[in-house]
Parts: sequence; C-alpha cells; structure tokens
Amino acid sequence: MDRGVVMASCEIEPFYGSNWDSITSVNRGGNLENSSYFAQNEFNDPHYSPVLENQILARSSHLVHFPSDPNLLDLVAKAPSFGSGCFSEMDNSFGNIHSSFAQNNGVSTQSASRNGAIYLDQCQTSEHRVFGDSFNGKWKRKVSFGASFKNAEEHGKDASEDTESPGEHDEMNKKFGPNCSTNLRGKQGVEQAKNNAVVAEPSKENYLHMRAKRGHATSSHSLAERVRRERISERMKLLQELVPGCNKITGKAVMLDEIINYVQSLQHQVEILNSQGGNANTHGINPGLNPSHTLRGFSHGSFNGLPGTVQPFCPLPHTLFDDELRSILQTGSGSNAARDKRDVNDDGAM
Amino acid sequence: MTSDHISSLRNPSSIKTRFAHRFVLALKKLSMDRASSSVSMADRYKRYRKVRAAAYASMASSVGPKRAWARALLRKIRNRKMGSNLMKRLGSRTGLLKKRTVLKPRNHREMGSEQENSLRELVPGGEGMEFYRLLNETGHYIKCLRAQVKVMKNIIDLYSN
Repeated sequence: MDRGVVMASCEIEPFYGSNWDSITSVNRGGNLENSSYFAQNEFNDPHYSPVLENQILARSSHLVHFPSDPNLLDLVAKAPSFGSGCFSEMDNSFGNIHSSFAQNNGVSTQSASRNGAIYLDQCQTSEHRVFGDSFNGKWKRKVSFGASFKNAEEHGKDASEDTESPGEHDEMNKKFGPNCSTNLRGKQGVEQAKNNAVVAEPSKENYLHMRAKRGHATSSHSLAERVRRERISERMKLLQELVPGCNKITGKAVMLDEIINYVQSLQHQVEILNSQGGNANTHGINPGLNPSHTLRGFSHGSFNGLPGTVQPFCPLPHTLFDDELRSILQTGSGSNAARDKRDVNDDGAM
Repeated sequence: MTSDHISSLRNPSSIKTRFAHRFVLALKKLSMDRASSSVSMADRYKRYRKVRAAAYASMASSVGPKRAWARALLRKIRNRKMGSNLMKRLGSRTGLLKKRTVLKPRNHREMGSEQENSLRELVPGGEGMEFYRLLNETGHYIKCLRAQVKVMKNIIDLYSN
C-alpha cells in the first residue's frame, strides 16, 4: 500500500539568480528527507526523465491499486485518461474530479474536496500540463502541494508511510505546480528516481541539496528565511549604489568588504576633520564670528544674542556648501596657505 | 531677508544644513568657552575630543531620533561624558555605569559572518540589530557620514582662512 502522493516535479519558473541558500533541514515528518531531495533533484536531470517517463507510463496500470481511498480511486481512474490531454481539458476534468470528490461522503470527504481544490488551484495556476505531457521530461523540481493535501494523504492513505512521501509532502507545501494529481504516477517516479538518486548521491550531494532548496520552500521556516534573504539582497543592491565603485561586484562577501572599507574611510576622514577643527578653533575661529553671517540662510533667535563684534564677511558666499564655497575659497584668500597651515597643525595636534 | 536666504538654499532642511548649523553652533560654543589657544598636548587632545563629540552629537541630533545609529551615537557620547564626569567625583562607581552601557541585547552578535560582525562594530548601535536592519542603518549612516565630511571640510576651510 503505497500512498499515492505526489511528487511531481515540474519546472515552475526560472531558477532564482544565484540564490544558493544554505540547506535547512525541512524534515517534518519524513524519514528520508535527504533521499527525497535527491529524488526530486534527479528529476532535474534530463537524463533521468526518459527513464522515469517510461517507467511511469508503464506503471500507470498499477495506479488503480494504490489509493485505498475511493475518492482517490476515482481520481486515479480518471488520471490516465488525461495522459495526453491538453491543458484546458485537464482543467475541466479537474473540475469533474473535484465535484466527484465533493460528492463522496465519509471521512475523506473533506480531504477529497481539499484535494480537488488543490488540483483545481494548481491546474489553474500552472502553465504546464499535468499528466502525460508533464511526465515527458518535465520532472524538474518538486511541487509542493498544500498542507491540506498532506493531511488528506494521511487520512486517506495512512498505511505505508513510505519514505519519500512524507518528505515530499513537506516540501510541497507552498509551491503549486502542474503535476497536481500525479500522486500515483509521481510515486512510482519517485521510486525510480530514488534508486537513481542513490547512485548519484555522493557525487552531487551538495549541488543537489542546493537545487532542492532553491525552487521551493519546504516549511514556514525556510520560507521566512528565503524572504529574509531576498530582502537582504535587495538592501545589498541599494548599498551597492551608495558605495562608489561597486557596480561590478556581485557577491555578498565582497560587497560587505567594500562597504566596511568605505565606512572606515569615511570615519577616518571625519576624524581628521575633527582634529583640524580642533586646531581651527584655536587659530582660525574668531569668537566674534556670528554664524548667521556665514550660514546666511539660518536665522534663529539664538544668534542674535551673541556678544562680540561681528566681523563683516562680505566676501563670504551666501551658502556654505559644496561648489559655491569651494569656488569662493579658491578665488578668495590663500586657500593654499590655509592648507599648509592645516597640515602643520595636523602634525602638531595628533 | 533670512527667508530669502533660506529659500535660496537648495534644501533648507536637509541633513547638511541641519548638521552645519549645529556644528557651527557647537564650534562657536567651544571656541568661546576656551580662553585662548593652549599649546600643550593634553589640552589639544581635550579640545580634539570636544570637537569630536560636538561633531558626532550635532550629526546625530540633526539626523533625528528615528535612526537607531543616531540614538546609539548620542547615547555613547552621553555615557562618555557622564563617565568622565563621574570619574572625577566617584572613582569606583564608574564601573557600574560602564556595565550599564554595555548591556545591550547580544542575541545578534554571534550569528553571522565575520564581515557582518565587523560591520556591526563600525556602525554605532549595530550590535543589537538583525542583519537586515543593520544594512538599512549602514546605508543611512553612509549617507550622513558623507554629508558630514563635506560640511566639516567646508566649515573648517572657512574658519581656518
């Protein structure tokens, strides 16, 4: 008694950029979590797909035996007929299945309707064909069905807790894919894939883990993590624009290094200016300076009460900043002299 | 008159103008407090410290309380001030004060890469934040640092002529 679950993996969308997330253990209830990953990943490899396909089609006749749940039996019975159907047809048929599910009574009614609903949703949202065509080499990534599906599974098929199934279910939680009702077919496919996966496991282990993770979130934790990571990469892009000369850098580590260097250099600059300011205080600043004259634009009450003679700052610019001031300084009194004085002061002060 | 000048500025309430305003005020205060130029190293260092504190404080206060790093910076300055004041009066009590300042949430420190930790050290107040928030604060901090450098350069150029 196998469960007829899932596992169809299909290519849902292009892979995310270079989003190799670290592997998080998603094992909710499944035993062979790893193997299920490998199994899924094996689907990605086109080499395996024809093998799977053949075996799946060959085994389609066995599908009828699997589901103990009469609802699923209905589904299964109808499933092979969709083998080469086009997508729109499948939509309609899914609707039928859904209704047939709904008609049934008993414990599995709820689950059945959920199943049907899931199938409907998935079929409507997905772009690929589910059954026959999807099996033709589209065993890319695992599709995650809703959690309810998992429940239905457990209700309906209790029995043989087959190794992959729980793991696969767990993974399939959030993502929907075209291979909705591929329970049974998926199942055999998984078995095949698992066998194949075992062979390929040691060599491609890390890579396969990454591939598994990238396509789908397997639990709320990893989903949240993935969201977090995406936000972080977004921020990193913004920071890239802030830090000059970081357009070509891709990679979190290098980018972080650049940011750290830049912040350090800015802080150093502020320190240097601070020391200069200390000197300027003794040498340059006239206590009688009224900041309102230099800043011009700022009129605040506090300025007016300042004692001391106000030196006329006629040559001073209206605004204190950037280009205007620089131009004034260049044309005005001995900027070179000031710089030299500053350098001397620097040596002395620090 | 003043409103004309204010409106003639590109952005009257930008960080730069706010910071410049406060910094100039602080410098003025410092220069007025001091009697005359003292040549000793200790005095110079003290003055440097004061100017530095003035710069950071004016920067942080012009940024406003919304940014965590500004708050942390102000806190640091105040603690340092309080610490130094207390040092003069209560010799041994400052240990307590320092402990209080160090007690920040350490949850986010061990996790994360090496660079993340060094970034946390750089950005004021970066210890108690998550990485995402740290990146946010870093971005804003960089912007403000840049503005600060520009303004300070200009002011000091102006005053040392």
